[in-house]
Amino acid sequence: MFDIRLDRVSKRYFIQSGSRERSIGWPNFSLLHKKEMWALRDVSFEVPQGESLGIIGNNGAGKSTLLKLLSKITAPTSGEIRIRGRLSALVEVGSGFHPELTGRENIFLNGSMLGMTRSEIARKVDSIVDFAGVPEYIDVPVKRYSTGMYVRLGFSIAAHLDPDILLLDEVLAVGDIAFQAKCLDLIGQLREDGRTIVLISHDLGAIQRLCDRAILLHHGQVVTTGTPADVIDHYQQMSMGGEETYHLNEDAHQKPARCLHITFASTESDETPRTGYPMFARFGFHAQDPLENVVFNVLIFWPSGYLCAQLTTAVSDPQLRITAGSGEVEFYCPVLEIQPGWYRVDVSIESNGDYIDRQQRCAVLHVHPGKMVFGDFYMDTVWRVHPWEQLRAKESP
Amino acid sequence: MHLRTPIESSRQAVSDEIEDPELHDDWSAAEERTPALESMTPPLERRHPLLGTRIVTPRNLTVIRPPSFSLGTIVFGIRALAGYRDLLYTLTLFRLTVRYKQSILGWIWAALQPLAMMMIYTLIFSRVARVKSEGVPYPLFVFSALLPWIFFSGAVSNAVNGLVNYSTVITKLHFPREIIPLSYVFAALVDFAIACVILGGLMMYYRVSLSWNILYALLVVAILMAFTSAIALFLSSIQVRFRDIAAALPVVLQIGVFATPVVYSVGSIPLRFQRLYLLNPVASLIETFRRIVLHGSAPDVQMLITSGAITLCCLALAYGYFKATEPMMSDVI
Repeated sequence: MFDIRLDRVSKRYFIQSGSRERSIGWPNFSLLHKKEMWALRDVSFEVPQGESLGIIGNNGAGKSTLLKLLSKITAPTSGEIRIRGRLSALVEVGSGFHPELTGRENIFLNGSMLGMTRSEIARKVDSIVDFAGVPEYIDVPVKRYSTGMYVRLGFSIAAHLDPDILLLDEVLAVGDIAFQAKCLDLIGQLREDGRTIVLISHDLGAIQRLCDRAILLHHGQVVTTGTPADVIDHYQQMSMGGEETYHLNEDAHQKPARCLHITFASTESDETPRTGYPMFARFGFHAQDPLENVVFNVLIFWPSGYLCAQLTTAVSDPQLRITAGSGEVEFYCPVLEIQPGWYRVDVSIESNGDYIDRQQRCAVLHVHPGKMVFGDFYMDTVWRVHPWEQLRAKESP
Repeated sequence: MHLRTPIESSRQAVSDEIEDPELHDDWSAAEERTPALESMTPPLERRHPLLGTRIVTPRNLTVIRPPSFSLGTIVFGIRALAGYRDLLYTLTLFRLTVRYKQSILGWIWAALQPLAMMMIYTLIFSRVARVKSEGVPYPLFVFSALLPWIFFSGAVSNAVNGLVNYSTVITKLHFPREIIPLSYVFAALVDFAIACVILGGLMMYYRVSLSWNILYALLVVAILMAFTSAIALFLSSIQVRFRDIAAALPVVLQIGVFATPVVYSVGSIPLRFQRLYLLNPVASLIETFRRIVLHGSAPDVQMLITSGAITLCCLALAYGYFKATEPMMSDVI
């Protein structure tokens, strides 16, 4: 039994193709000439009741268009959407607020725009104010609110809608940490309660935690659907261009030393690094002259661009000396602790504190699922069970 | 667009039948129409973290399809509008409060604006141009026609930009869009009512006697309001796509003052043009309103029926056009 069903849904937008450079005072007939652009093309999927579905994709993949279609803000160009139950969307909460009106007046205005009746709002107004945490400001015009208060009030109104189906678009990025935690708790409770949830987010961690299933959109089409882990893996691979090999700049011949290659391998027979298993990283280099105080670095970045981990020779031997010629540094990592996924890699060679060669984002590390896991890291542990009597015996000599 | 086979069009009819956009309080009705759904979803107790426990009633099915114009669109549009009547009330109320927030004179402005115009027109047309006013003191003569005119022109010129002003909301939230232009019309009606108090004061000052015929004025205002709504709906939906409308409107309204019997009486129009002239509902309604209020006479029934019929046609066409363009408003705004 479905709650949402899309059947070959397409959405076409017209974008103005005429150039914006025109002489002032001349009629702008470019308004009449438009180029078509398909934001969604033959998208079909179903969301069963009680499922929470994540939708991921690059900017412009059609995620927001999909959400606008589901919340009836715009109509499809072709195809059919069926929705069973009351649906509400938490999209840019607080967008219906009028700055001159007080918080209370805005609750009534925004609430009735969201489809609540006045008596319904009057019943819920205390709870709304309470959840937003703005009781002392409720009769102050919202133009005097801080951004956080504004958004918290907006979220709180929307959270009181009591829908059967909840659409969320990047709303988790609102408020301070405490309020975010409150929102996540609320969404978790709604999910346990059997509400259907559609979550659009670039926060892949949130998709992984909150969703039962995920869909990858690309250029307005569904590329994959499956478990969040699989779909996220596919998405990361796609956004890295799919290359698993390194590509180093070859213009480094004049440098005293340069990076030749970087490869990652597991000691396992299938030769792919896996979370929780040993990994080798092999860093090939060529030196024109002998060098002193050399450091080899391998930096591993999250897909988001933040530094995740570093392999370096600096910690154990900052006074490394190398002779002229080619060679290879082999890093051995007994337990690969980072989670499965796609990582970008930088390599660099330093001597006496200066970079001799530095290659940014030159390779990709694809970590396959191994002993993972939930969370961001795998922690290697050993464990055993002590029967209670044994512990008691140890304590009392 | 695809061709509809007979099966598809019958399916359309069925799904329209069960489509009940956003009438959440109307679940029982949805249940009657879709008995199959009830058996699929047995009533269930459900716990909301903020709202406590409630019994879940059967859900209704919404079908979203590419927009197509039909008479059904109008019917379902009006039903959806009825479900959102609280929003119309709230928006009208807030339009009034926002307008006079941070102003010292506040509500008095609703009366001051027509009073100021009355003085200007009296100065020009009574003192300078010596326009005849059917034996009524000229200030009263012009004021009684200015009120319905200011209601019409004020509502239309505010409403035409209404949807554009609300573009951030329109691209984020779903609700019947006609509520926005209509709320400007209702707000203008409140201003009209305030100014009517001043009209009453003027009539007492000039010792104009009242008769029970004054109740006909309510009917005239109702028709005028319907016609104003039609124009507001039509122009505001075009304004979404072509911003030329709001630019042209002040000129058109300026001409309108002189194309309606505001500063002069209908009697000064040549007799053979009068019938054509009074086909304009605004002209005939202003004239009727003035006769009812100042002369205490019953309205010309034929004239009232004509303008009522024209208004009804305009309103149906304008609403149909509005509803047909509504689904794409968020794309072009």
